[in-house]
Amino acid sequence: MRKYVLLRGFYSLVTLWLLVTIIFAMVRLTGDPVAMKGEIGADATYLERIKHDWGLDQPVYWQYTGFIGNLLKGDFGHSFEKSLPVRDIYFERLPNSLKLGFAAFVISLALGVPFGMLSALKVNTWWDNAGKMIALLGLSMPGFFVGLVLIIIFGVQLGWLPVLGKGSSAFVWSNPATWAPFWFRDWPHLAMPAFALGWYFSGAMLRITRSGMLDVLGSDYIKLVRLKGVPERMVVAKHALKNSLIPVLTFAGLNLLIMVNVAVVIEVIFNWPGVGQLLYDGLSNRDFPMVQGVVLMSGLMIVMLNFVIDVLYGYVDPRIRLSR
Amino acid sequence: MATILGRATEIGGVSRAARRSYSWVREIPLVPLLLVTVLVLVAVLAPVLAPHSHLDPVKPTPGQCQAKYGMADCPYVDNMPPFWFSQGTFATPLGTDYLGRDLLSRLMYGARISLVVALTGTLFAGAIGTLLGVLAGYMGKWWDQIIMRVTDAWLTLPSLVFAILLSSVRGPGLWNIVLILALVFWSRYSRAVRGEVLALREREFVRLAEINGVGKLKIIRRHLIPNVMNTVMVLFSLQVGVAVIIEASLSFLGVGVPPPEPSWGLMMAQERESLMQGKWWLAVFPGICITMLVLSANMLGDWLRVRLDPQLRNR
Amino acid sequence: MTRRTGIKGLLALTVALALVAAAGEAAAQKGGQTPILSGPLVKLDIKEAQIETARGKPKGTFRIAQHFALDPGWLDPLEHIFALTMQTYDYLVHDALIKPMPQGEATYSLAEHAELAADFRRAAFRLRPGLKFHDGQPLSTADVKWTYENYKGAHAKLFRDKLEHIQIVDDRTIVFHFKEPFLEFMDLYNGAVSGIGWIVPKHYYEKVGRDGFKAKPIGAGPYKFVSQQAGVQMDFEAWEEYWRRTPAAKTIVVKGIRDNAARLAGLQTGELDLAFGMTGKVLPQVMADKNLRWVPNFTSVWHLAFPGYNEPDSPFHDKRVRQAVSLAINREFLVRQETQGVGKVWGNWISPENRDALKGDGKDLPLPEHNIAKAKQALAQTKFPNGFEFEWFVPFVPYFDMGERILTDLRAVGIRGKLQSLEGPAFRAKMGQGRKGFPGNRTIVQNIDPRPGGAKATIGVYAVCGSPASIVCEPQIEELWTKHEASKNLDERDRLNKAIQKILVEEYYMVPIYWNPFVHAIGPRVLPEGKGIERYYDTLHAPYPWPWEVWEVRADR
Repeated sequence: MRKYVLLRGFYSLVTLWLLVTIIFAMVRLTGDPVAMKGEIGADATYLERIKHDWGLDQPVYWQYTGFIGNLLKGDFGHSFEKSLPVRDIYFERLPNSLKLGFAAFVISLALGVPFGMLSALKVNTWWDNAGKMIALLGLSMPGFFVGLVLIIIFGVQLGWLPVLGKGSSAFVWSNPATWAPFWFRDWPHLAMPAFALGWYFSGAMLRITRSGMLDVLGSDYIKLVRLKGVPERMVVAKHALKNSLIPVLTFAGLNLLIMVNVAVVIEVIFNWPGVGQLLYDGLSNRDFPMVQGVVLMSGLMIVMLNFVIDVLYGYVDPRIRLSR
Repeated sequence: MATILGRATEIGGVSRAARRSYSWVREIPLVPLLLVTVLVLVAVLAPVLAPHSHLDPVKPTPGQCQAKYGMADCPYVDNMPPFWFSQGTFATPLGTDYLGRDLLSRLMYGARISLVVALTGTLFAGAIGTLLGVLAGYMGKWWDQIIMRVTDAWLTLPSLVFAILLSSVRGPGLWNIVLILALVFWSRYSRAVRGEVLALREREFVRLAEINGVGKLKIIRRHLIPNVMNTVMVLFSLQVGVAVIIEASLSFLGVGVPPPEPSWGLMMAQERESLMQGKWWLAVFPGICITMLVLSANMLGDWLRVRLDPQLRNR
Repeated sequence: MTRRTGIKGLLALTVALALVAAAGEAAAQKGGQTPILSGPLVKLDIKEAQIETARGKPKGTFRIAQHFALDPGWLDPLEHIFALTMQTYDYLVHDALIKPMPQGEATYSLAEHAELAADFRRAAFRLRPGLKFHDGQPLSTADVKWTYENYKGAHAKLFRDKLEHIQIVDDRTIVFHFKEPFLEFMDLYNGAVSGIGWIVPKHYYEKVGRDGFKAKPIGAGPYKFVSQQAGVQMDFEAWEEYWRRTPAAKTIVVKGIRDNAARLAGLQTGELDLAFGMTGKVLPQVMADKNLRWVPNFTSVWHLAFPGYNEPDSPFHDKRVRQAVSLAINREFLVRQETQGVGKVWGNWISPENRDALKGDGKDLPLPEHNIAKAKQALAQTKFPNGFEFEWFVPFVPYFDMGERILTDLRAVGIRGKLQSLEGPAFRAKMGQGRKGFPGNRTIVQNIDPRPGGAKATIGVYAVCGSPASIVCEPQIEELWTKHEASKNLDERDRLNKAIQKILVEEYYMVPIYWNPFVHAIGPRVLPEGKGIERYYDTLHAPYPWPWEVWEVRADR
């Protein structure tokens, strides 16, 4: 077991290192960031100085080692465009992304799990087909389309919900008094982006729940419970539900992370100041350190979660840890 | 090939009997198939079917100019509503956009872009991914380690984030999007294909071929690739829908297909302001087109997956 | 605003024009000011500050929407380059010795008196008595000296190379000594042109460092910085002790909102009070909304340029092709569609706000024509009788709709291309590199530049071979420009300058389109009601309505 954990850990590190290298190389292909600071008619000396300040006058291998060294110290460098350390800006935005992610996550669970169960319990009926259809529709409507439709209906026609920004509440790390209220305020601002984001994932959630439930319902264990004469309602509520939720929750964890990290389009549409918008701004302005920082953080989260899942599975199922 | 299939009746999960009986014909999902056929036909025949140019404004009548601008002559009339509104006409059934271009014609040409980009992009991704997957699975050792580590690192990046990153490297353009889709999605194939090959490698027919001294390249070509095709097909059909969405998203963000070409995602982005004015149709019709295409691709993909994997038949 | 432009033109006596050496008579310059420098002085045209003696009470929250993401770097004048956006933020937190104000392009601010020696080798300033920074520390000549020495932004090398030493006479009096005549000094030291004139508190900057300062700056301006979320929002609060007057609005909140529709929605719901860049599809809605007001805020002239046109294999090498491009554009209709008829079709590519620009309304240069038949005729004589495919049409960000409209006009004569929609910094970066920013020679750029410093500054950036941003490079122009630079005779310079402008337009190196209204929309909470708001737009060459301390809004409920 120990060997298995170590090996998995080693693989995760290799993955991270590769990721860092891929990002480093790719970001450098996107163009010259110094030119981005050069207003029309700017001095050449000014540009030289910026180049020096940003360390871009050094050879690439030196930039690379410096980059890795700083990463190990937890330093992502300075944003070219936003003039402050990337880490500060990232963590300032992260709570906004988490708020949106959690809300979307709750919506995807609230839509996906009950319909998934219903679909599994009434397999191959009208209910099931409706469920399948909803799941497919969720997966087939791009988030920005859902977002625009929501804006038309609730923002423009009905005027019920605000269409821009996240409201006035802000999460300030240095001020603990803002920590709790942040999560509970400005829900009208949150409603539309969260739904647009959650909608897509609810389709996937529904499918997972349905197949998990079908697996459990078809298992010998449930057959045994049924044979014992336990009422069907109890079978579902007590035994089947509990067991079928394990894969759902594993998957849900990954989904939450993905939601936090892929909300780019939704954040752009709703002007939601999250990490995705930061990435989008960073890319359009050739803000290398910003892009590196955001992509690496999202990669780090996913690698870490995958590692935890691998270890847990290895722990639960000896076949997995022996097979590798 | 036939003898190999004959011996291993369950490769790919479809029994030979089932293949022969054609009973699956009855299970073909007609609605999505019809939708896909219609969309493909529209895309192919767009130059014939489209009532107007997709890039040039529709020439207005003097009456329309008078009504809209109070001028006797004008180059175009923008934002004509669809035919069911009082100012709408059947000449431009779904109305015109902000440049007086016919929305219906633009949607038709948009189908071309979506299909070409999504199909070729996914195809390239499938080719790269399958090849690398087979190499990793069959060659093993360092091949496996290197390819799989890179694949893992690749998979860590959320696809849209990665696509946006690549688009800023390559700049806008139709073929750049194809390249981006290929680069983003290959890792999904190589992962699945490698797993499949690991199992195939231990099968008798591969072993036998090896004992008989058949070259590695030939084994890969003759025995491995044909046998992973089912998996690749299923992945392909499921990936097409995602590719359509990615293309639309990139175009929506302004880093995809450059104007004036009518990409559906771009059309939605351009008409966000009109949306606020209540001219919902300009953004909603392209949205519906994207949804229909992705929906039917996903339904076909699902059906294929169930066909090719009997364990899932009742799901 | 339109009506006001004439008055603006009259007021437009910039420092540069007024640099007429007037021997002696230094003491007679201004009543009550003892001279600092000995010897003959240049007569400076610097307007007196308007100090409001009645100190009111700031009230209300004023919410502004910038049309792109906010950069904390805008808050640090030491690293400023020429970008009028940065200066907009200087007007909130910081203050300069002299800066553009509604009274004139140079107006006394922190300084109450300035002198420039007739040999252009010494400049002197006397600060107002009792100046302070937001933290209560006094603002003295030591801060002025420190700011000059630590400035790193645009023209920093020039300022450093020319400087011999800085002499601090006392807490309020400072003299700059130059190694050689520094003719442009007063022009460049003026607030809107570079960051060096904006005084940064030495003690605070040294304590918190570069990042600390950008994260939380202090200055001597009318508004204290409160907090920011990088890229998204900045909050400012009125500093009641500001020397000129009490700021009118209690709080100013600036948000970065890229989406036009979102800015409009914000105005309509009352989440915003002022939004920039409201032309295009949103303008009809702004005009139709009874609660909103709008100000045309004319800035500069839209124009097309052809980077790489002078290479023989470029399709735009042929003058007749460029002429056809100009003839194909339906400017009247474009103005109607993009600006609801507010913009003015214009025959020169340099803004008429520059006193040395030729007027493009038919007076100096003819109004450009729209004539498809003539355009086709011009093309017929070239290598491309049926038109051709060029590569990219690159519109100024974010005017993509306008770009596509022009692109569609060009299609009418068979000139076809794709639209490249860049982000702001990427566009400016390309423009900053001039010809080199646009590889290949099959690109059309749609640009606009509201640059201060007169038409000569604009020509010097785009139309001269030696400039890094050069797009036009013609021997004929080069010759005139060399004469212009060498000449010390103002009349001759003016004549040469205008000759260059004429060539640029007549040879279609630059194709002017229309004089652009950079429309600002204003919500109902801004006072005074009705047309009175136009007084906020009196400052010359200001795409944004500074100074900010005069903006009044209704008290918060």
